[in-house]
Parts: sequence; C-alpha cells; structure tokens
Amino acid sequence: MTFITATPAKLDSEALTSKSTSLWQITWHRLFRRKSSVIGMSILAMLVTTALTAQWIAPYSPTLSMLDASPPQNLQKRSSPCIHLLGCAQDQPQHIMGTDGNIRDEFSRMLYGARLSLMIGLSTVSFAIFIGTVLGALAGYFGGWIDNLIMRVMDVLLAFPSLLLAIAIVTVLGPGLINALLAIGIVSIPAYARVMRASVLSVREMDFVSATRSLGGNTYEILFKCILPNALTPLIVQGTLGIASAILDAAALSFLGLGAQPPTPEWGSMLGAERNQVFTAPHLVFYPGLAIMLTVLSFNLIGDGLRDALDPRLVHVSS
Amino acid sequence: MKRNLSVLLSLLVLASFVLAACGGAAPTEAPAPAATEAPAATEAPVAYEGMMVESPDCDYGGEFKSIEAVDELTVKFTLCVPDPAFPSKIAFTAFAIQPSEYLESNGGTGDLLENPIGTGPYMVDSWVRGDQLVFKANPNYWGESIGADTLVFKWSTESAQRLLELQSGTVDGIDNVGPDDFATVEGDPNLQLVNRPALNIMYIGFNNNPTTEGFDNTTNPLANEKVRQAIAMGIDRQRIVDNFYPVGSEVASHFTPCAIPNGCVGDEWYAFDAAAAKALLAEAGYPDGFETVLNYRDVVRGYLPDPNVVAQDLQAQLKENLNITLKIEVMESGAFLAASDAGQLQGLHMLGWGADYPDQTNFLGYHFGAGASKQFGDHWDDITSALESGAQLAFDDDRAPFYTAANNAIRTHVPMIPVAHGGSAVAYKAGLAGNPHASPLGNETFSVTNNGTDTFVWMQNAEPISLYCPDETDGESLRACEQVTQSLLGYEVGGTAVEPVLAESYEANADLTEWTFHLRPGVKFSDGSSFDANDVVVSLSIQWDAANPLHTGNTGAFSYWSGLFGVFLNAPPQ
Repeated sequence: MTFITATPAKLDSEALTSKSTSLWQITWHRLFRRKSSVIGMSILAMLVTTALTAQWIAPYSPTLSMLDASPPQNLQKRSSPCIHLLGCAQDQPQHIMGTDGNIRDEFSRMLYGARLSLMIGLSTVSFAIFIGTVLGALAGYFGGWIDNLIMRVMDVLLAFPSLLLAIAIVTVLGPGLINALLAIGIVSIPAYARVMRASVLSVREMDFVSATRSLGGNTYEILFKCILPNALTPLIVQGTLGIASAILDAAALSFLGLGAQPPTPEWGSMLGAERNQVFTAPHLVFYPGLAIMLTVLSFNLIGDGLRDALDPRLVHVSS
Repeated sequence: MKRNLSVLLSLLVLASFVLAACGGAAPTEAPAPAATEAPAATEAPVAYEGMMVESPDCDYGGEFKSIEAVDELTVKFTLCVPDPAFPSKIAFTAFAIQPSEYLESNGGTGDLLENPIGTGPYMVDSWVRGDQLVFKANPNYWGESIGADTLVFKWSTESAQRLLELQSGTVDGIDNVGPDDFATVEGDPNLQLVNRPALNIMYIGFNNNPTTEGFDNTTNPLANEKVRQAIAMGIDRQRIVDNFYPVGSEVASHFTPCAIPNGCVGDEWYAFDAAAAKALLAEAGYPDGFETVLNYRDVVRGYLPDPNVVAQDLQAQLKENLNITLKIEVMESGAFLAASDAGQLQGLHMLGWGADYPDQTNFLGYHFGAGASKQFGDHWDDITSALESGAQLAFDDDRAPFYTAANNAIRTHVPMIPVAHGGSAVAYKAGLAGNPHASPLGNETFSVTNNGTDTFVWMQNAEPISLYCPDETDGESLRACEQVTQSLLGYEVGGTAVEPVLAESYEANADLTEWTFHLRPGVKFSDGSSFDANDVVVSLSIQWDAANPLHTGNTGAFSYWSGLFGVFLNAPPQ
C-alpha cells in the first residue's frame, strides 16, 4: 500500500521540478521576445550599472556645495548645463547637468540618486513581500479565524489611500529616509498578502499537497516547502510592479519633505527643492523628473512582460 | 411625458444648486444681523459715560497705568514709564479699534476671527478658507479711497505659481517675487517690479534653555556661551547673502537694520574666521563637534527668500568649518512659531523679523527685552536692563549709549546670529493707476491703487490665520487686517512715518507718561455704528487685561501687546 502511493508522489515531484525549470526557460524566452520588456530591462540594466559605479563615474561628491563659486570661475547657483564637447566655453567648469541651488554638481547627485532609488524600491518591496507572504500564506493555509483576523487588518490598511497612510506613519515616526521606507513598506503589505492568500488557497487543494500531507509532512514543510514555491509566480509580477510604485511613493514623500533629508541626493527631494525654479532653471526639475519616470517605466515594462510571460494561458496562445 | 420628466429633473438640479448656494453662504452672512442690531444701542445715549480701565499700581510690571475715555472724542493713556516710541507702537495694526458692542457680542473670539468690523476702506465680504478672501468697499469709510470696489486676497506658497498668475493676468499684484525671478519681471513690459526696502532681519537663533519637558540642559552644548560664539564665527554669512539673496540684500552687522535710529550702534558682528571658531569650540570642550538640529519653516518671507537652500548651506558650512552635524527638521509654519514662542525649539532655528514700526523697541525690545518670549531661553540681565533704560528716553542721542551696550551684550551672549537684511520685491501689472507700492513694513494698502476694473486681486504667500489681528503675529494676517481695521495712528503709505488716522491729533506731557489723543469726529464703522472713545478703551483694554472675559482671541497669546508693552494686567502667575 505504501509502495503504491509513494511512487506517484515521487514521480509527481520529479515532473514538477523538470516542469518548473522549463517554465523559467519559457519565461525568459518570452520576456526577451517582447520588445517592451527588452526596453525595460535595458533601462534597468543601465540604472543598475549607474548605481553600482556611481562613486567612480561621478565627477564630484554629491554633497559638496559651492563648487567653482569662488574666482576665477564665479559660478552662479543653478547654472545651466555646460558640456565642453557640445561647445560650452573651455574656461567654464564642466557640469553636464548644471548645478543646483547650493551649487552642487547636478550630474553627480543624479547618479547617487539612482543608487538611492533602486535601494528604496528593492528594500521596501522585499520588506513588504516578506511580511505580506507570511501573513497571506498563514491566512490562506489555516483559514478560519486566523484568516479572518489577518485579512480584516489588511482590509483596514487597504481602506486608506496609500500615500496618506504613509504620510501619517511618517508623521508619527518622524521624517527621514528609513522611516519613509518603513511607511511605504507597511502600506504595500496588503497587496502581497492578498495575492499570496489567493494563490495558497488554490495551491493547497492540489494533489501534490494532499500527497505530501498524506506522507506525513508537517505544517511547516507543507506550507513553506511545498505550497509557497508553487504560489510565488503571481507574487513576482506583483513585486516587480510594486517596486515602481514604491519608488514613486518614496519620491512623493521626499518631495513633501518627509522622506530623504537634505543633503541626501534623492530624486524626489531634488525635484521638490527646485520646484519654484521650473521656469528659471528647468534642468533642475527636468532631470530628476525624467529619471523617476524612466525608472518607474522600466519596472512597469518588466512587470508587464513578466505577467504575460508567466501566464500559462498566454503561453498556449502564442507558442 | 418625456418632456415632463426632463423638466422635473432640471427643477431638481436647480433646487439642489440653490440649496448648495444657501448652505455655503450661511456662515459668512451670519454675522450681519448681529452687526446691524448694534447701532441701535449706541445711537440712543443721552449723557456720554466715558469708561476707564486702571491698574491700581505699577508693580505688576507692565507699561500701562490706565486707559481712560475723557469724553466722547478724547482718550488718555497714562503710562508707568516714559515711552517715546508710544505713537509708533499704538499705530500698529494689532492695536486697531473695533466697535465695543461687536467685541462684547462675540466674547472676544468667534465671528471676530473671520469678520472684523473696522473703519478702514474695505470690509470683509466672504472668506472661503483655503481659497480666497474677498473684501468689498466700506460705504461708511471716512477717508478717500480710489481702490476697486472688490478686493480679493489669494495666496500661494510657490513663488513660481505667483509669478505665473501675474503673467497670465489673473492677479494684479504679487508679494515676494522669487529671488531668481527679479530679472524676468523687470524684462516684462506688462509688469512692474517694486523693491521693498530691507527693513528686516534673518537670524539663526539658539535656545540656551529649552522648556521642552524632560530636556536635559546640562548636556546641551548650545547652553554654553562659547559654543554659540564659535558658531557665530564659523558661519560665512557673506557667502549666504552673495549666493542666496536677491540684489538689495546685505549682510547684517547688527540685529536691527541701520536705517532704524540707533539700529547699528556698538561693535560689528564677528567676522568669519573658521580657524578661530574651531579653536573656540575646542576650548568649550567640543573639539570634535557635536550633533544638533536646525528647525525652520518652509515659507518664503522677505528676509528669507529661499529657506531650503540656505538651510542646506548652513548644514554644509557647519560640517566643514566646525564638524557640527546639523539635522534639518522642517516644521509646519504655525507649529514652528508656536514652539518658538513657547521656547521649545532645541538646537538652532532659522527665523526672521520684519519691522512693524521703525524703532529699536520693535527689534531688540520685542526679542530680547524683559517682556520677550522664551524663544532664546533665559533672559540676560545686562541686555534687558539696557533695553529698559533705552526705551524710556525720548531722544535718539540719549538712547544711543544704552543700545550700544545692548548690542554689545547681544554680541557677547549670542542669543542668535544675525545673518541678513533681505531685499524683496512686490510685482504689479504695469499701468495701474494710483500708487502701486511696496511697504517696508509689509503692510501694503490697496485703497490707493486701481486697475481700471471693479476687482483688484492680490496674491500673497499664505492665507491669513485669523482676521483678529491683536492676536496674530504673521504678516500675511496683518496685511489683510490693514485693509479693514485702523488704529488711532497709522503709517504713511509705502513708508514708516507715523500719521494721524482715527485720532486727528495727540499730545504728551513733558515726561512722556501721559498721552492724550483727540479722536476724529463723525467716523462710522462699516456696520454703521459710530466710533467713540469707549471703543478705544474696550479694544485696547481687552488686550491689556488678562482677566477681562474678552481676553480670548484666537490663541489668547496677544504676543504684540506683551512684546511692546510688557506684562499683562492681572497676568496669571507663571
């Protein structure tokens, strides 16, 4: 009797591993076939390179103020971009993106800003996914009053507009980058918890789960080794898209002065600080705005691509 | 059938519109009936009964001894100490006169905060919080007004938006042109730039003993005078003014601008010397610097045109010169002022002051005198005593030695670092009739300007907090009050000279302790009630007497009274 039931279970798990590698292969393949996701990935690759090598590429320290303000250059604050290759006078100091209100090199600040933005995106989403996954999995697996309790709390969190809730959290904790990250992380937990719960609900009724259970696997094994890996797919898509909105939320908080504190070069706070110079020094608003847009765009394109690539229904349609 | 239905529908829509309109208008029209009933009470009197409010003695510590309505058109103030600046002080917006009946009917607060009744060229028509404040011409105004029938106040904290509104023609004048926009306005043939003289001061304040509960002042480096002196020497103020202030600004050599009599007597402020500053900081016991906060409010004022940039430059300078790490904490404007007044700000704070009237008492007296708030912590006796003596003398030459001593003592104790007298500018549409001006006191009058239409729109930095100005200190509120209410005296349009307004003339006794004001006859308030000496007594005594049931206002602080005239009568024990 044991012999009979054990064999199909083993077969099943073998089939599962071979299928999952092929799923990833298909996913990669499909991802690279889509133009939009390739664009997204190239932008992201560029950003990641920039962020990793910022300290070698950046011509100045991002917090060094009063650059070239003294004679002989007498550089004014918020000077326009000066690129020697494009015909800017040689005796002028080169600032590819000009200087900001404190006569700091805008280009260097933008580079370090990339580092910060990516860190914000990844860390908040990792935090939210971690907590959200655990909560969603527990709710979905155990059901009953645990499910009710967790999901009602999540509903309460979802009932607030996310940015308002983040502002409220930051107000309580005090402004600062870490607190802003925490706030954004907290407000994005419910989305992941819901997605996770839904996948766990569908996966836990599948045969291989029943098989593991009948083999005597304990709750921990079933939940985290058996169900979780198979319920992760929608979470990956949600997470990629979530990075984009986390970066946007962090920029919004910083714009309002609640996120990164000066002199930290954060794109949102750079945008906020120079918002009144939109007509007199448009480059100071244009570059950070463009950078935020590109970053968010890249994550959205990749997220969309991943969603389509991971959707089994669409796999059949096009292949 | 179909037509019937659509008629019914449109009727319903119409009805809902009417309902909505009435609902919106109700709160602003509510004060009207109360106001029109008031004159019935005042027109009847048979024999005039003058009021008098008096302090039994002068031991309570304030400046006033009594306020008395001698007859219907004569008011006499008796002071405990001579006060040569009395006319300048009493001319200030906070000491405007409102009908006594109106004040009493409101209990000193309530409608009073939204709808002041005054004798000025305008009266409040409606105030939609968060949107706009609309004034209409006061039919009972006793003076001459060429202003538009409707005056609208709008506000935006963003200088770029203010300029855009002016350029697009939706407003006729804007306050505080952004420092980078001066050239834009000057180059635009449709606009005109009016420079406002720099009668203000931006300073970096310290609190030597914050009142915050649980604050341990023994570990507070800023309680140490040497540390404050080191910071004073370690900041390159010239660099701040050169880079972040518009033309017409200057580095402050003293707290008070030199244009004010005895403003800059005494030693000049410390010259920038990073090495000496570092040595002094080491001597004070902080060779490696320390960490503290810099509080400020992100609002543009004439004295501080670009707060964030200046804050970040300070942060960079202190890090570089003294290894002091500043944590920047931007606060909401009202909360910041309240915390500053209560002495709760720790670390450094950036704030400024614009002249209300051109006298040292408005600068040094208000900030460092015996009646000053705890903004800078505990008071210094050598400063307060010098200021007290100086304030009582009539002639500038006699006062000079005391203000020299006060300025030198301030330089020694460093309650704050004076940074800049900031130049600012107002911009108007070109071709306005009358006198489009910028007042050095920040109280532009709009009854002297006309744009040829029946509506004049002014856009300032922020919304007024309330319109009961005895209890307001923010210039954005005071300017709005200026259009409606008037004091016994006033300041000339676009200048600082004191001129008669509700009083036609005044005289003082030889030792400047008794001031008699002869009121202008035939003046009526905008609600139709007539102006007499009792209105003066009531309007001023409710500020003076803390035990008066009408001493409520918006917050109940009445900062200007205590700042200019010292302790309140019947002040609750501290």
